Amino acid sequence: MLELRSVTKRFGSKTAVHRLNLECKPGEFVVIFGPAGAGKSTTLNLIAGITDPTEGEIWLNGQPLNRVPPEHRNMTMVFENYALYSHLTVFDNLAFPLRAQRMPSAEIARRVDEMAAILQIGPFLKRRPGFLSGGQRQRVALGRALIRDADVYLLDEPISHLDAKLRHQMRGELKALCQRKQATVIHVTHDYREAMSLSHRMVVIDKGHLMQFDTPDAIYHTPANEFVASFVGEPPMSFIDVKLTTRDGAPCLLITGTEAQPAIVSLGDAATAALAENANALRIGVRASDISLSTTASASHGTRAEVYVVETLGHRDIVTTQIGTHLVKVIAPSGLGLQVRDTVWLNIEPHTYHLFRDEQSISHPTDEMRIAQGV
Amino acid sequence: METPRITVGMVLRHLLMLFILLIFLFPIFWMVLTSFKPAEEVLTRPPTFIFQPTLDNYRYAFEDADFSLFIRNTIVIAGLSTLLVVVFGSLASYSFARYNPGDGHIMFFILTTRMMPGIAVVMPFFLIFRDLGKTPFGQALGLGLDQVGSLVVAYTVFNLPFAIWLMFSFFQDIPTELEHSARLDGYSRLQVFLRVVLPLAAPGIAVTAIFSLMFAWNEFLFGYILTRDAARTITVGVSGFQTQQGILWGPLAAAAVVCILPMLAVAMFLQRYMVRGLTFGAVRG
Repeated sequence: MLELRSVTKRFGSKTAVHRLNLECKPGEFVVIFGPAGAGKSTTLNLIAGITDPTEGEIWLNGQPLNRVPPEHRNMTMVFENYALYSHLTVFDNLAFPLRAQRMPSAEIARRVDEMAAILQIGPFLKRRPGFLSGGQRQRVALGRALIRDADVYLLDEPISHLDAKLRHQMRGELKALCQRKQATVIHVTHDYREAMSLSHRMVVIDKGHLMQFDTPDAIYHTPANEFVASFVGEPPMSFIDVKLTTRDGAPCLLITGTEAQPAIVSLGDAATAALAENANALRIGVRASDISLSTTASASHGTRAEVYVVETLGHRDIVTTQIGTHLVKVIAPSGLGLQVRDTVWLNIEPHTYHLFRDEQSISHPTDEMRIAQGV
Repeated sequence: METPRITVGMVLRHLLMLFILLIFLFPIFWMVLTSFKPAEEVLTRPPTFIFQPTLDNYRYAFEDADFSLFIRNTIVIAGLSTLLVVVFGSLASYSFARYNPGDGHIMFFILTTRMMPGIAVVMPFFLIFRDLGKTPFGQALGLGLDQVGSLVVAYTVFNLPFAIWLMFSFFQDIPTELEHSARLDGYSRLQVFLRVVLPLAAPGIAVTAIFSLMFAWNEFLFGYILTRDAARTITVGVSGFQTQQGILWGPLAAAAVVCILPMLAVAMFLQRYMVRGLTFGAVRG
């Protein structure tokens, strides 16, 4: 069990990590996900003992790690810039951590060969890192970290610099390898697909602050705030500013900027209750895959929009529509023959949108709501 | 395979290079030639290129002028001072590169010790070693006038600032992640320094060692002032052939030839390590 207890790291006046609390169970694959400069690598360095926290404590298996030097923490790490021993061959790079444990050379050779086979770097074992391509170097770095048994594996963007095909394949290998090792893995990435597909639980951080720590499913379906919602998913979630209003005596939402020709969105029961106390700075977010468009108005598709751009993916189109001043992306079947400035109707309803107040989420579409709507 | 075409330009270029090479190598050639000449042919005009070679000059240099002692002294002094310079210089340089103590002021202070010519400090050195030689401490360590230890200390002091500055950039070029990585791989600080940092800094260390050796090997002033007989070095020894009876050109040339050879051998050996970009491939970018 790895625990971060209110860990803060400041560099001068800049706070890189702010009161971070994490708990990783043994054998858990945790992905730290966030934009550049979020404090992802700093968090890994803190866990590894490369830098010391300004405040807070890090515990491993019930022991505090403060002042334990990196070589006694039994962790391994892949560095984002590889950090290969360029004066040694690939074989010696992989063997380096094993030699520290004074492992017999026959056993070292066996393990190196095994790891080289998994990572497909067998033919390069006699070369030095300077004579490898970027992708090959990254695999050597990964191999060096995974070759020995450790309590925690820290992986800082270990596969981000591989080409798309190899990355996809390595993602699978990495997951299988870590499952076999039953190891606790902390994996840093800025690629949300990698984060979603690898992790048991995901840590989303921004500017040193923890945004959400949950399963990939929960992060995707019930994002805690607008940052998490906007950062997970492709194409990114569209946000629409709304105001609380009433229609026929019932509370509902008016899309701002459409006052002349009001675009009204109905409100779910749970959200209605929440908005009773405070309804400032409201915004709804819709995922392109959750909503659909229709060329005719109907009970289900009641929000008027105008086609702004159509991007073709082949099997379907990503249609960017405009409601008032807001742009909303929708995934639509291809072949609708939509033209720019055509009028379309969207189903922005409680079962398709997330509601945020002051950037914090209030309501999410639930499975029950979707089932009730027959989606 | 394409056979390289020989053009007139190429021939001319090579002839020019050959010509320049001859100009530079001629003095050395002349020195070697002179060292094998019988005494009566050394100063003949026009100079002779064909003569009966003799080893008399070498015999004189080693038997009458005690040159073997001078060479032994110089090897000990240059070797020991270079060893000290590399050991202390690399440790100091590494800490400057990693921890920057004194925010650069200490680095600069170290450089200032080289801002005066050697002649300005040779008298203080003379007085220090004269007095030190009378103390039990100085005698125990072999420091004092006409003692090999004094020159080892003097040359180390002179070479250290230069070595620290020279190695500094080599250590700075080594990405810190490599050290972090080696720590996590299970090695202690010192092991990381010895197994990762030093091998990667090898080119810098080789360059430093060569410069340090050359300085100690060629130094004259301190060797002249601080020694009399027992601790004489080769440069001072060579100058000893300038006698009241005139300059002994033959033995002088023989001694000079012997002085050049060891440095040539060391330089050729260390050249293997003087490759740039040993850290190539260590990090992305």
